Amino acid sequence: MANLSLRGIVREFGPLRVIHGIDLDVAQGEFVVFVGPSGCGKSTLLRMIAGLDRPDGGDVLIDGVRVNERRAAERGLAMVFQSYALYPHMTVRQNLAFGLENQRMAQAEIDRRIGDAARMLQIEHLLQRKPGQLSGGQRQRVAIGRTVTREPGIFLFDEPLSNLDAELRVQMRVELSALHKRLKATMIYVTHDQTEAMTMADRIVVLRGGRVEQAGSPLELYNRPANKFVAGFIGSPRMNFLDAVTREGRNVVVDDMPPLAVPAAAETSDGEPVTLGVRPEHLGFVETAGLPGTVDIVEQMGGESYVYVTLANGARLTVRRPGQTALSTGDAVRICIEGAAHLFSRAEGEPAIAPRVRA
Amino acid sequence: MSRGPAALVSRAIDWPFEALQRALGAARMPYVFVAPNLLVFGIFVAAPMILNVWYAVTGGTQLMPGDRPFVGAANFAELLDCTNHFVVATCKQDRFWRAVGNTAWFVVFQVVGLVLISLVTALILNRRMPWRGFFRAVFFYPVLLSPVVVALIWKWILQPDGVLNAVVVANGGTRIPFLLDPSWAFIWTIVVSIWAHMGFYTLILLAGLQAIPSDLYEAAEMDGTAHVRVFWRITMPLLMPNMMVVLVLALIRAVQSFDEIFVLTGGGPGTATQYIVQFIYETAFANQTHILGLAAAASMLVGGVLLVLTLLQLAASAQAKRSEAKR
Repeated sequence: MANLSLRGIVREFGPLRVIHGIDLDVAQGEFVVFVGPSGCGKSTLLRMIAGLDRPDGGDVLIDGVRVNERRAAERGLAMVFQSYALYPHMTVRQNLAFGLENQRMAQAEIDRRIGDAARMLQIEHLLQRKPGQLSGGQRQRVAIGRTVTREPGIFLFDEPLSNLDAELRVQMRVELSALHKRLKATMIYVTHDQTEAMTMADRIVVLRGGRVEQAGSPLELYNRPANKFVAGFIGSPRMNFLDAVTREGRNVVVDDMPPLAVPAAAETSDGEPVTLGVRPEHLGFVETAGLPGTVDIVEQMGGESYVYVTLANGARLTVRRPGQTALSTGDAVRICIEGAAHLFSRAEGEPAIAPRVRA
Repeated sequence: MSRGPAALVSRAIDWPFEALQRALGAARMPYVFVAPNLLVFGIFVAAPMILNVWYAVTGGTQLMPGDRPFVGAANFAELLDCTNHFVVATCKQDRFWRAVGNTAWFVVFQVVGLVLISLVTALILNRRMPWRGFFRAVFFYPVLLSPVVVALIWKWILQPDGVLNAVVVANGGTRIPFLLDPSWAFIWTIVVSIWAHMGFYTLILLAGLQAIPSDLYEAAEMDGTAHVRVFWRITMPLLMPNMMVVLVLALIRAVQSFDEIFVLTGGGPGTATQYIVQFIYETAFANQTHILGLAAAASMLVGGVLLVLTLLQLAASAQAKRSEAKR
């Protein structure tokens, strides 16, 4: 088990700066997920931690020791690649043993570690097969097994589930969480999928354009997003955004529609242009007042329903209701806020007026 | 129909084919399109091959097939007739056996050298380096040259008052008869042949190297694998299908070597660089008496060897395709 610190990490590709001075501490045994859209620098950051890439500025510290110049193998890390990167011409056993043989480990110890990892990941019956003869999920297990046998200080995962089908992804998510609890290992996991981040992370680091937008526990990010980007990225379906103006300390007005009660607006000056952010699960329907609109489409999931509404001003909203709904396409509805609402400054976009939540 | 020169041209081409199709029916049209190629193949490949079999089992010096007396396997018997098969001088056709021996040694050295040099070149060209595209082109360039041009370039370099000897003399050495000394001439036929063909094999190996996912090298790096071990345990096994293709192709083409060597050394000095295809050519066409039967029989023997090598090549590329699919 090891801890990791990043100090002012900068990475440039030619004239293009892709990582803009990132500082981060990962505690021993923590499961940290880097999440962000493609091109946000999350994989580059992981590769610099791994030692497959070198930062142009800043320091990588493992257990307080600067490791910038250390080769990947000497950092005590192990990595699961997106493609799994299993050696196709070797059997599963040879794949698991390869890295250990490099360390000139005793054969008995290699056998013990392979045996333990294979048992834990339920791949004992696959040891004599080659990767080409395995299913995607089995390859995934072998790739994880290869890292487990190394007994690394930190596990690194680079979008490991993106090649699996939806069902298997859910299953592997659960297994990875279980593996983390069992090994109590430090894990750093890169994904573009906010669901993976929400379900597995002790702490999520949201990246965009090579900068940390926000770092915190999944619920912190969900409840108190630092800005509009994080608010839109975390949570599924996505948060609804409406351009609005604050009014009379308690309300916001969207175009000429009836004012909406948003207590957070109390902290703003009157008449300030803002972006109102409300999660689909925090919207509801009312008989009077509220924002008038028309139902476009209703998705009945059985346990819950998604209602897609176009407002009178043309803006589109997603409303998520528990259970089943009687609404159908074309129905006139009025929408109110039934939970947390967030106000973001409209000028410059993101850095909010400060995220505000209705108590 | 549209106007313009293109339309005019296409109409001019169209009408004879349309007339033909009306006459023959659409079902027979594919044969019309295949016919020109088939004709060329028939005249220059298939017919000579069949004729060759007839020449191989007939004797005499007559050119017309009908005039030639049937002799059965006598030509083969003469080629294989030796009192001691380990001593070339005891063979009735010692020039044949000398050519076979020369070819065998040539093939061994040329193929091993060619494959190793192509591999090293491909490994270097696969690295990130400045001017990589330029160097890839440079190494491929000789493949584009006509064999006669290749031979003339090297003759100009290797002749007694050639470029290489100028360098030797300038450095205080004495002239070396590169093409007049049997050992030197043999070595230079190998060098020139490797130089002329390595670009092609480098290209195949380079393609193989680039097909190896970079992830595997990164995984090996994370695994702390030494460079030598990466090469032997990852690069080589994954390059093996391409290596097999290269090996067998190089073998086949080495056995067939003729043109650039014939122009470079003419098979000499003596018979030091006379290889099997040259023996066949000279026996049939260049010597004073044209012993067609013997040449035909010899070419059938070579054909048998090439057939085996070609089957090996087919098997190798089939295996390459299979492992490609598995990746």
